[in-house]
Amino acid sequence: MTSAELVQAALRQWPGEVTCRVDDATATTELRCAPARAADVCGQLAGPWSYAFAGLVVEEQDAAFQLRYVLYGEAPGWVHVLVEAPLAEASVPTITPVVHAADWHEREAEDHFGLAFEGHPRLGDFVLHDDAWEEGVQPMRRRFRRRITMADRRPNVDWRPRRIVEAPGAFVMPLGPVFAGPTEAVHLQLETVGEDVIRAFPRLFYKYRGIEKLAEGRTRDDALLLAERFAATTAFAHALAYSRAAEAIGGVEAPERAQVLRVFLAELERLRHHVGAIAGICESTGLAVAASQAGILEEDLLRVSGALAGHRYLFGLAVPGGLATDLSDEACGDALLRCQATLRELDRLWGMLRLSSGFVDRLEEVGFISERDAREHALVGPVARASGIARDLRAVQPYGAYRRLAFFPVREQEGDGYARMRVLFAEARQAVRLLEQALAALEPGPVTVAVPARSGAALGAVEAPRGAAFHWLRLDDDGKVRRYRIMPPSFANWHGFHLAVEDFAFQDLPIILATLDLSVAENDR
Amino acid sequence: MSNWVWRGLRSGVRTTGYPSAPEAAAGVSPGFPLGATMEPGPAAALVAACPTGALSERAGRVEVDPRRCVHCYRCARAAGGPLPWSNDYERAGVPDGGQGAPLGAAFGRSLHIVVVDAGDCGACLHEVKQLASPYYNLHRLGFFFTPTPRHADVLVVVGPVADQMRVALEKTYAAMPDPKRVVAVGTCALSGGVFGPSYFSGAGAAGVVPVDVEVPGQPPPPLAILHGLLVAVGRKAPARLAAPAEGAGAS
Amino acid sequence: MTATALIGVFATVCAAGIVLSLILPSRYAPKLVAWAGSLASLALMALGAGALLQAQPLTIPLWSVPAVGRILLTADPVAGVFLLVTGLVFLAGSTYAASGLGAVLAGYSGRVYAVLYLGLEAAVGWVLLAGDVFSFLVAWEIMSILSYLLVTFEHREEDRPRAAYVMLAASEAGALAAALGLLLLAVSAGSTAFADLRAAGAGLGAGLRLATFLLTFFGFGVKAGLVPVNVWLKDAYRAAPGPFVPILAGATLNLGLYGIFRVNADLAPATSVAPGLVAVGVGTVSALVGILYATTENDLKALLAHSSIENAGIVTAAMGAGFVFTAAGAPVPAAIAFVVALYHGVNHALYKTLLFIGADTVAGRAGTRDLDRLGGLIRRMPWTAAAMLAGVLSIAALPPFNGFVSEWLTLQTFLRSAELPSLGVKVAFALCGAGLALTAALAVTCFAKLFAMGFLGHARSPEAESATEGSGSALAPMALLAAACLALGVLPTYVIGALDHAVAPLARASAADALVPPFFAGAAGHAALPPAFVSDFHALGAQVGQQVLPGPGLVLLHRGGASNPVVFAAAPSYLVLVLLGLLGLAFLLTRLAPRRAVARRPAWDGGIRRLLPEMTYTATGFSNPVRVIFDAIFQPTTVEDTRATVNEHFRTAIRREVEAVHIVDRLVLIPGRRAAFGAARALARLHHGKLNAYMAYALLSLLALLAVSTLL
Repeated sequence: MTSAELVQAALRQWPGEVTCRVDDATATTELRCAPARAADVCGQLAGPWSYAFAGLVVEEQDAAFQLRYVLYGEAPGWVHVLVEAPLAEASVPTITPVVHAADWHEREAEDHFGLAFEGHPRLGDFVLHDDAWEEGVQPMRRRFRRRITMADRRPNVDWRPRRIVEAPGAFVMPLGPVFAGPTEAVHLQLETVGEDVIRAFPRLFYKYRGIEKLAEGRTRDDALLLAERFAATTAFAHALAYSRAAEAIGGVEAPERAQVLRVFLAELERLRHHVGAIAGICESTGLAVAASQAGILEEDLLRVSGALAGHRYLFGLAVPGGLATDLSDEACGDALLRCQATLRELDRLWGMLRLSSGFVDRLEEVGFISERDAREHALVGPVARASGIARDLRAVQPYGAYRRLAFFPVREQEGDGYARMRVLFAEARQAVRLLEQALAALEPGPVTVAVPARSGAALGAVEAPRGAAFHWLRLDDDGKVRRYRIMPPSFANWHGFHLAVEDFAFQDLPIILATLDLSVAENDR
Repeated sequence: MSNWVWRGLRSGVRTTGYPSAPEAAAGVSPGFPLGATMEPGPAAALVAACPTGALSERAGRVEVDPRRCVHCYRCARAAGGPLPWSNDYERAGVPDGGQGAPLGAAFGRSLHIVVVDAGDCGACLHEVKQLASPYYNLHRLGFFFTPTPRHADVLVVVGPVADQMRVALEKTYAAMPDPKRVVAVGTCALSGGVFGPSYFSGAGAAGVVPVDVEVPGQPPPPLAILHGLLVAVGRKAPARLAAPAEGAGAS
Repeated sequence: MTATALIGVFATVCAAGIVLSLILPSRYAPKLVAWAGSLASLALMALGAGALLQAQPLTIPLWSVPAVGRILLTADPVAGVFLLVTGLVFLAGSTYAASGLGAVLAGYSGRVYAVLYLGLEAAVGWVLLAGDVFSFLVAWEIMSILSYLLVTFEHREEDRPRAAYVMLAASEAGALAAALGLLLLAVSAGSTAFADLRAAGAGLGAGLRLATFLLTFFGFGVKAGLVPVNVWLKDAYRAAPGPFVPILAGATLNLGLYGIFRVNADLAPATSVAPGLVAVGVGTVSALVGILYATTENDLKALLAHSSIENAGIVTAAMGAGFVFTAAGAPVPAAIAFVVALYHGVNHALYKTLLFIGADTVAGRAGTRDLDRLGGLIRRMPWTAAAMLAGVLSIAALPPFNGFVSEWLTLQTFLRSAELPSLGVKVAFALCGAGLALTAALAVTCFAKLFAMGFLGHARSPEAESATEGSGSALAPMALLAAACLALGVLPTYVIGALDHAVAPLARASAADALVPPFFAGAAGHAALPPAFVSDFHALGAQVGQQVLPGPGLVLLHRGGASNPVVFAAAPSYLVLVLLGLLGLAFLLTRLAPRRAVARRPAWDGGIRRLLPEMTYTATGFSNPVRVIFDAIFQPTTVEDTRATVNEHFRTAIRREVEAVHIVDRLVLIPGRRAAFGAARALARLHHGKLNAYMAYALLSLLALLAVSTLL
């Protein structure tokens, strides 16, 4: 529904309890309500009114915490539900009974701010592990001092994993954080009776670096470095989201040529990332030749990126106001030719994989996530699109030059590993088509514009290769970062990890993980 | 299934000639800024612009400490006087007062590597993974990834050592039998990059385990990592790393 | 001492023990059981050794019972083997009772236990020494009843009386069948003396022979624990008091095997292959079923009980092979098969007793029998662990222990079927041989699980963490049995020589010459060996020890016949020497090598901060793959599969429980019970209280009797 319709419906539904404000510049509708009403409002939005839950931003103001629940619909436009909780009480009711996707956001807020969510059954031991940190650290509070020494810490040395499975002979199989090869550090607790995984719990945040806290006090341009580097395999997408937030605060739009080049680089990154994910799936099933073939293609694309932009992962390109440096049309054309050649090889690989029954058997009907589960956990990206949720920010909330390009989200129904792989292949093909469209739409012009450093706050949202990424940025009067909140796609998708893994055998776990393509660095921040 | 064999054979040989021959393809390395002589004004502006204090000025010359360079390209694109850029990749060095000699001839062609991700952003780890791809194929050099530190000779650390990974990194190092070496890969593992030191994240691997070979870059390309491994076994000479920038800005 | 004197000593010690236990206070019972039981068992062992090595079997006539015949006691080499091993089992069990009985007697009368125990020992001895049908059956009954009383000793516990009743019912049914079989033989021989039965055995008709076989096989098979008549075994072993189970497994189980062997190999040897094939088939099925349930069982006692079924199956299969070879007219393979059967029976008694004593020690010290709650005991109970390791290696048939020799020989015996003419028999042997090989593999899994989950790793419960080492009276018998297992594994050539002494008269051929050829130049029969053969085995070390060792050489052979000239050789004696040599060499090298710092670090756990016991594999997890693969046999049903949630998505509990009914219960006990109840109900319809009907029944019976008597 449009903002006007939404305001009317909200005033009708909760008369006298909700105040609305519409910001046409960012197409955002703000609904303010009391903490006790938040669950109702969010539940109604996420449920019958079919808005998708993007995330929760908590900011500490002078007298109260401000909680901002961010949602978006099927048509362009955002809804922010704002709730205030006085600092002294630091407690609000949880919205997880109606919006389960807020579960991990609330746990993170509790660890970061000490904000108690009444009714949430699982607070604690989330970002800061109980056996490494003592209680009450609350690093995101303004009063938090950054230089308490390690020796003063009092962690809980009797920490034990929480067990749910009550079956004779059940035990907790620990995997990680150091794995058998070059794999990201995460600790998986798999409760099992021997063959099948009955319950899987990922213990994340071993790689927590406190990005959101580090950003506070840095200049806008220095914090951009953090945005680019916290999850560098999709560096351009995150830097783009940050830049768009900064541009929205400054009230400017990047020039036309910059927007088209941004699309070009984003799709190049997406193509490279998806080919890497496909290589990972082939490797997990042990199909060595296919893994090598995909590995060749991935390295080709990394070299294309490096030759085009100077850096293989596209560092240092997206800046607020456009691009840091121009790319020549010829260089882009060369890159496109090589991408098209890579796509032909990729299609050939797909043709062979499709007919390898041993390979397909390991993916079909394995790692199943139902559409209902995906919706209730607000999964994003290729994972969600493989479970029937055709939501892609490039179509639903188009940004930049995507508004002018022809684009239709890929969608599959089955929700298993094979469906997710088909989505990856289809989006890779689509990325090359978008590269062609972008190159055709490239016009000469400037690639950067100055962005005034004012105070303000805005949300930058892009469809990163792994899914929708949301960056919330608030700048002070002197242009320094006051609050930087990142809600990455892997955070949403790790929440749904157990849905895919449970009730399958141990041998399927690496394959399911490969098809889900989750990034720990992106989640942990 | 025979299709796959045919497909593999038809792909031909893609492996790089390195280390026997230099690799000249485009896009294999992001390169590094090089030091340059410069007027004091632009030099001071450049030094101030570097977000991690990798640049320092000494006697009319701007020096670069690659262990702190995060590839933000500000110095390469500075209006007043950009620094020249090189595209080489053999940058692995041995820190001063570095640990033992290279591992020696016995390990030269039979080296087992265990990798610990201590909070890395994903790019360095991704480049390490590319070592097993056909383009780089570390197996031809006799290097292998091993699943357990008990069989490992070299520990590759990526990431600034996030606080909650300290214990895991220490335990991995302790679980390795002698002789062992540590190769710290990436700017974060050498100096903390843009993340550390902080309450949640360290200033590199040197604070937790003794580091023998340092491979700078963010991320260092696979060729640079190969160079680092070859330095660790003494098959290649180390590059000279610049001394830490004097009075370097805090990060 | 002569045999008579030894029998007298044995009887006196048992009687004196019984009298003393009635006089003395209850608290002396454990010591009394230990001393009296041990002395009596020493007498039994001496008796057995003497009987085995004597050339002539000894017969002692006792009193004459009217209308039945003379009561005889005979001690022939076959009985000697069983006497020897039973004596050793009772020695170990009695010594263990000194400390192990304490927990049992807490609520029950020690006097009663002592009386029953010593009475059982006397009865077992009598069964083995009985020389005529009457005294055999009387002794058998006394033994059955005393076993039942001992199994139900802790009668106030739940489920124990019921398990013991099932045991009693099965025992009585088996005894009835066995009695019928023996009586059939006695009737056709016209006398009750075993010697007369043996003489008449050659002239039996085919139908009578088959009937006798089936009756005695399944009758004695009850005690031996063969499928499908072993419905009582698992529950009875679980219910029996801990110190008594070693006797159950080591002594009374062997009596069943003794009964089968005595009747079908000695008194009435087979003339057709059918009985042998039945035995082979039943043995293989028992072995498979037993080991499958053992592998998936977590209770120590129940695991070992199922494993007893498995071993009894193997012995029966070997005996069956012997019956087939006898019927097919191949006396040498038959002799080999019988030697192997006896060897495995002896081995099983030794290591099973060892394992049960160990299990009861663990249960007493670590407070639990559940493998899912044990762990890490090797640090807390090192000697028990060492003895259990010997037992585990033996039962898993790993060299240099005795299980390896008897399993190897069993499988070799099955390969000899190549010499038989009939294709059907060859196929049957091939299938059963494969089944036994599968059993051996599963046995390794099962006992690796027992040792690993019970003794290695982390303690999984506070009781296991605070376990203490067993006392001397527990460790001594375990050490003795472990040494015996090692000895029987390292010197198989001598054991085979001794067993051959018992088997040769029955099979009318010598197995020793086939299995342990006289390589030593001075031995009898050496000249008959082809010189090429001798020189080939010279290289294997067949002549080593010629000047030093008495008796046959140290190489164990399994030679095929003329139609099948292959040779399989094994030399466990040399194996152990090489093993010790290599260990010594390794030790020496570590001492001589340049000093190197040794780092001790905890096990690699993936870098987690603390490895907790709940993060280690449980016994259930270890054996889950077997459970899944053999799902068709276990047929588990899901009792519960629920999850409790808060707000639909926060899981607070996931509950899974399955239960499975034992396959023998499913196929035999439950249908049998249903049939019996059905028949009873049908018959009950006749009892409707009408007087007229009852008078009609009386009239009908009278008419039927008249008709029958007229016809006869």
